[in-house]
Amino acid sequence: MSLSYTWRLLCLCCASFFVLHLAMAAATRLSAGTALRMAARMKASSAARFLFFLRIAPMALAVFVLLAFCIPSYLWLEPDAAGEKVGFVCFFMAALGAAIWALSITRVVSAVRGTVEYLHRCEEQGSQIQVPGEPSPALLLADEAPVLAVAGVVHPRLVISKRVLDGLTEEQRDAALRHEQAHRTSRDNIKRFLILLSPDVLPFTRAFVALERSWAKFTEWAADDQAAEGDSHRALSLASALVSVAKMGSKPKLSYLFSTLMADDHELTERVDRLLRPQPDPGKPAEVLVPFLTSAGALLACAVGLVMLWPSSLSLVHQALERLVH
Amino acid sequence: MMNDSANRRGPLLLGPLESEVMAFLWSAGTGTVRDVVENLNRKLAYTTVMTTLDRLFKKGLLDRQKSERAFLYTARVSHLDWERQRAGNLVAGLLSVSQPSRELLLSSLVDAVGQHDVNLLEQLEEKIRRKRKELSRRSHE
Repeated sequence: MSLSYTWRLLCLCCASFFVLHLAMAAATRLSAGTALRMAARMKASSAARFLFFLRIAPMALAVFVLLAFCIPSYLWLEPDAAGEKVGFVCFFMAALGAAIWALSITRVVSAVRGTVEYLHRCEEQGSQIQVPGEPSPALLLADEAPVLAVAGVVHPRLVISKRVLDGLTEEQRDAALRHEQAHRTSRDNIKRFLILLSPDVLPFTRAFVALERSWAKFTEWAADDQAAEGDSHRALSLASALVSVAKMGSKPKLSYLFSTLMADDHELTERVDRLLRPQPDPGKPAEVLVPFLTSAGALLACAVGLVMLWPSSLSLVHQALERLVH
Repeated sequence: MMNDSANRRGPLLLGPLESEVMAFLWSAGTGTVRDVVENLNRKLAYTTVMTTLDRLFKKGLLDRQKSERAFLYTARVSHLDWERQRAGNLVAGLLSVSQPSRELLLSSLVDAVGQHDVNLLEQLEEKIRRKRKELSRRSHE
């Protein structure tokens, strides 16, 4: 099939992304077992950080190579000819690349829409209350369902149902709110957003379920540690808050962009047992933006340095792209 | 994941020796026949263990690679995935009955799960109460 300069660039972007991502995602999937065993020996906050970076690494690295090498080499070295034939393999890989992105974007749009709609409903039907330590008023729901969560990506808001507010003692409430504030401090909803955005290895496959499930578990543990701050009494209050909320019945199905007090009922026993043991030093909150931006900056500097010191690297990339096209 | 023939057989059951061998490989990651023989709780002939490993390989539960002169065996499924698969097969087997029986089974299952949850939460509350007492006793001392 013959494509114009711009369409060829688009096709190459999708195909290159698919090939790069496939290689990196397959490597991540193969090393997932070892990574999970390593994470089990780390502090909860470090394990959560490590698994998060591992999960988004294939997407981040593939996008980086695409932006730093593939697109510049095409723009500088590809002659602006009227049209050029694109091979079936390249076209097929571009279609797969576009498909995994389309599925990721659909997941994100659906989760964001679910969150926004839920928050709108809460604003219409609920009331606003001031909660100490919260930057914006929390949304109080008259629901019978037990809800305590931080919702939203950019400006996450605390959502709490009257049942939880009235059903917990002051100590339990304080501990539960600290847990939610820890999710906010760690920007867990942004991480959830990025995980949703990270494509899977192939369309309609779920190769990273174990990694994502473990990340979610360690995220909850890290938030528990931050809420307890190494104090056994606080840890006990949080454990008893967890059990009290569990006794209130099943929680409503919320979007993935909610960090709730009870993320997964199956982990309850493990979490309570962990909170009853002597409390570890919580360490720093599982910060994501600073290390992420630092790594991105360092990688960008390396790429610029590589191109400046060795300009023929772009022509090598261009040759590889030519092979991919034909 | 297990191969198709293993999946099609329905609930996969392991004998006591097969379970022991799988437990060793799940904890150790990989092992040769000799490693398994040396780490089992009972004394068994090399050939018995070799036959068991070969059977597990044919069932699709193990992978093997030639390493020097011996095979190096690895579990193809994680322990958790295996348990999940077994539980799934068990439930599927239970539900492969006529409609009225299936509804009765499901309602009993829901009751049992509900009762299990209540018991579990009570156990957790009891643990918390004990810990609270322990902490208050320690703070008074």
